[in-house]
Amino acid sequence: MKKSAIFWRLLAVAVGGLFIYAGALKAWNPAAFATDVFHYRIVPWEVSAAVALYLPWLEIVCGLGLVFRRAVPGSLAILSGLMLVFVGATAAAKLRGIDISCGCFGSSGHSTGFAEILLRDASILLALAFLYWEDARRTASDLKPGHA
Amino acid sequence: MRWPLRQIVTLVAIAGVPALGAAFLHPLRPAWRSDEVVVSQAQTWGERVIWVDSRSTAEFNQGHIPGAFSLSEEDWDTGLAPLLDAYNPDRIIVVYCSSLSCQTSHEVAKRLREEVGLKEVRVLQGGWESWKRP
Repeated sequence: MKKSAIFWRLLAVAVGGLFIYAGALKAWNPAAFATDVFHYRIVPWEVSAAVALYLPWLEIVCGLGLVFRRAVPGSLAILSGLMLVFVGATAAAKLRGIDISCGCFGSSGHSTGFAEILLRDASILLALAFLYWEDARRTASDLKPGHA
Repeated sequence: MRWPLRQIVTLVAIAGVPALGAAFLHPLRPAWRSDEVVVSQAQTWGERVIWVDSRSTAEFNQGHIPGAFSLSEEDWDTGLAPLLDAYNPDRIIVVYCSSLSCQTSHEVAKRLREEVGLKEVRVLQGGWESWKRP
């Protein structure tokens, strides 16, 4: 196995594992996560509760997709979309002066710095973009005529 | 690369299965009514919570959540003053009665919102029973 291939596998497992971990923490206590979502003051409580019950599992499923190389483009697209929503919601909360716990890793009750959240989310988005690019490159290479 | 729509739909559907199970079976699932909270949810607010016991004074004296204020509709005036002394806008009032079937917590919460003008007033789903049996 080439060194570059090992690097991409490790990156995919790391990013997938991160989402599995984050999703599992939130799935463990959806009531606390619903409170975190509600504190963004973007959606009513009923929607926060539905999001808290569903979103962690979507993260886990997509994380597993990356780790086990199943439905990789779909997983990357969903996780990228989720990250963009997180960033947008965090920025909207910041603009409205709401002190929030992002709830990203199931941590309800304490606020996380805005810059810290943005830096973390930007890093994850960058990693997802790299993985998307690598998957597209590998798929194109596999489709080339004469490729074994 | 083609837009992986089929994969997205499949992943979204797969995630829905455990989520649906959690909605009905998870012991820490969020309450669906906007003014209701479960014990674990209220506990995440820590010191911000002011517990209000809407049961009768006799029931309150037999046992209550530590630090709770007694405020029943029968003793409204005497119970309200100490509660308002402890209240500030950063705090969240959680009213409870005896169990899932009682209604006094909703009535007291409604009066606190409408007559007293407090905003963050919730009702503990399952009441005192759910506190004793988390």
